Amino acid sequence: MAVTVKTFASASEAAGALSSDRSARYLGGGTLVMRALNEGDVSISTVVRASDQALTRIDASGPRITLGAGVTFARVLAERELGFLHAPARSIGGPAVRNMGTVGGNLFAQSPYGDFTVALLALDATVAVQGSFGSRDIPIEEFLQARERQTGTLVLSVSCTRPTSTEAFRYRKIARIKPKGGSVITLAAHLPISGDRIAGARIALGSMAPTQIRARAAERALEGRSLDAATIAAAASAATEGTSPYDNALGSAWYRREIVGVHLRRLLSGQE
Amino acid sequence: MLELRKDIFADERDDNLKEIGKGTQRQDMLGHVTGTSSYFNDHKLQGMLHLKVVRSTQAHARLRHIDTTEAERSAGVRRIIRGADVPRNLNTLLSLINFGKDDEPSLAVDKVRYKGEPIVAIVADSEREAFEAVAKVRIDYEPLPAVFDVEDALKPGAPVVNETYPKNTFTYHEVYDHQKLRFGDADAALATADHVLEQRYQMSPIEHAPTETNGAIAAPDTNGRYVVYTSTQALFFSVDTCAKILDVPSNTFHFIGGTVGGGFGGKVDTLTEPLAILGAMLTGRPVRYVFGREEEMQYGPPRGAERIYIKDGVMRDGRVVARKIRAYFDSGAYTRLSSYAAVKCAAHLPGPYTIPNVYGDVYCVFTNRTPATAMRGFGVTAMDFAIECQMDKLAHLVGMDPMEFRILNAYRDGDMKAHRREAKNTALIECVQVAAEKAKWPIRDEFKRASSRKDGGGSRAVIPPTPTDSRTRPAAPAQQRTSYDRLPPTVTRESPREPPPPAPPPPSPRPPAPSHGATRFSSVFGTRRR
Repeated sequence: MAVTVKTFASASEAAGALSSDRSARYLGGGTLVMRALNEGDVSISTVVRASDQALTRIDASGPRITLGAGVTFARVLAERELGFLHAPARSIGGPAVRNMGTVGGNLFAQSPYGDFTVALLALDATVAVQGSFGSRDIPIEEFLQARERQTGTLVLSVSCTRPTSTEAFRYRKIARIKPKGGSVITLAAHLPISGDRIAGARIALGSMAPTQIRARAAERALEGRSLDAATIAAAASAATEGTSPYDNALGSAWYRREIVGVHLRRLLSGQE
Repeated sequence: MLELRKDIFADERDDNLKEIGKGTQRQDMLGHVTGTSSYFNDHKLQGMLHLKVVRSTQAHARLRHIDTTEAERSAGVRRIIRGADVPRNLNTLLSLINFGKDDEPSLAVDKVRYKGEPIVAIVADSEREAFEAVAKVRIDYEPLPAVFDVEDALKPGAPVVNETYPKNTFTYHEVYDHQKLRFGDADAALATADHVLEQRYQMSPIEHAPTETNGAIAAPDTNGRYVVYTSTQALFFSVDTCAKILDVPSNTFHFIGGTVGGGFGGKVDTLTEPLAILGAMLTGRPVRYVFGREEEMQYGPPRGAERIYIKDGVMRDGRVVARKIRAYFDSGAYTRLSSYAAVKCAAHLPGPYTIPNVYGDVYCVFTNRTPATAMRGFGVTAMDFAIECQMDKLAHLVGMDPMEFRILNAYRDGDMKAHRREAKNTALIECVQVAAEKAKWPIRDEFKRASSRKDGGGSRAVIPPTPTDSRTRPAAPAQQRTSYDRLPPTVTRESPREPPPPAPPPPSPRPPAPSHGATRFSSVFGTRRR
């Protein structure tokens, strides 16, 4: 059977086509779907696209920012107001991939990809999706936990609160090939400071489990404390708790467990 | 631009040559930089069909049953090709130069020997339809114990990977299970050395990762011929390999290639051409067979892994007096070119150094891994990595500067190499001196004054008394000849200068091999009299 491409003017029509056909996939920038098709993934028979302008909108003026699902990483990088997301956007692929790859598609990228989502997870983002029962907002963590069941829903946008300072949000991707390699592990930390104490610590990890996950034990070690050497050491030693890394060509599960604490310590202590 | 250091090699080259030593423009450069070079995959032929293969999901298994009934009924399928459809479904690449036994099928028949081995080929109207049919082929495997480690593969009772080589080692000269190098008495020298250092080195397979994946398009031409657009980096080698596998004269084919989107050794194996041509023969239509990226990365042949043990004896003054090496080349499930890599490796030992006692055993081993092939200096590169790591460690052990340590032990013109050729045009000393100079690495005057052209030869040119292994050798059967060795028996060629006679006594007399009355040179066998 040939692959059918369906293009809709509105996101809701596209969402309808997506939810009614199990072999349908939404094509954002094509960096995942076209790769799968080229490699012979016969589970995809319908490609759904939407030309809806709402999907490519960026709202970065206020304290809460919203990125349409179809916003590319190149556009994130071109937006001065989105400076705090430049490091994760720049860590994805090469210029060609960043020019096509989208924020929405990244939510579905399997490890060793999906680095931008690690950043969004640390920022407690909200994912707006359009399903067969209308649109709704889902906390990103909940979205990721149910990701395998999300293929029939269309992501409309992602929103999160801007970090209060550049120091408060940190990101690091560990790759063997720079600058374009897949992730060995990816780390993002959001550390809002209230007084001189951390309040609402978020640590997100990529490639440490089947989906991007939060390192809750490390967060607990940081919560309510000042970011000193002892706190950092406690967070680093708790980094592997609750993770379930796996072996792939880029690194073994053992290796990932060994290095995640080291890199978390460097990230938190501001070391290069 | 290459610089010939005239201050060092004054009389090395005539400066009045017209081409040699002069810069020249590559003839394909303009096409490459302007994006107008055409590659094999730039041809879209009318009525072109697409071929995809069903690959083994098992590393080692007997094929109980292959069910293609559902795939045959799949939309767009024109032809399903099985092993029985391949005219000569067993080949080894170097049979073209009469080296090695045919051991690899184009499509597996009774057994698969590595994960990803092709079993069935499907020719369909579109790539998509070929993929859909591939997903409908049912294969009933009977898993067999697999072996993935070169030393495990040599243990008694190890699973036999490839029945052509039941000991899991390539057979040299139809007798030997490894390449052996003996020069002097390494064991005696190790016993009297001031320090002995033994180390183990393990390399991983390395993928060539070409921009353009392996592929070919074959199309029926007039007069029963086939035109083949191909990515091969060894065009005539591929022509002859296809002629053998498809059992037709090589002038059946018109191969068009030459523009390779990245080869590096990974496009010698002629993996796509035979099936693309066979598909065109069976359907009468143009057939395209191109590896996907994952196929290229996972099942395209890599540089093979090697395990190397080096045991060196060194004196306090820095002279390396003995080097004993055991190396295992992981050929994967089939031979491809690793057998030849082991020969090159043995000839290269002990590296570019003059060491009076050298002992080498180099094995080409079969395991249930992806078959390995050529890649940029294979047989030498990994061994050199191990040897140079070892040289640094030895220098540290005796408290010498690593640069000076290399100059002290470097080979020089006139020295006898372990494989009994006189060293000529040596330049390691000069390379180290220039590297030290460029890196502003201080070396002492006596080492700055050293030269490859001084103090070589003499006692260093002598082949030392060499004890031979006591094991009795079975007599070699008469050389097997194939139709691919077409040297006319009457041709006489000028004999290259005879090398110094080897010191060890020759093995028990062989039955006379068919004689052509000529001496020929082969990079595999060296100079041989036939």
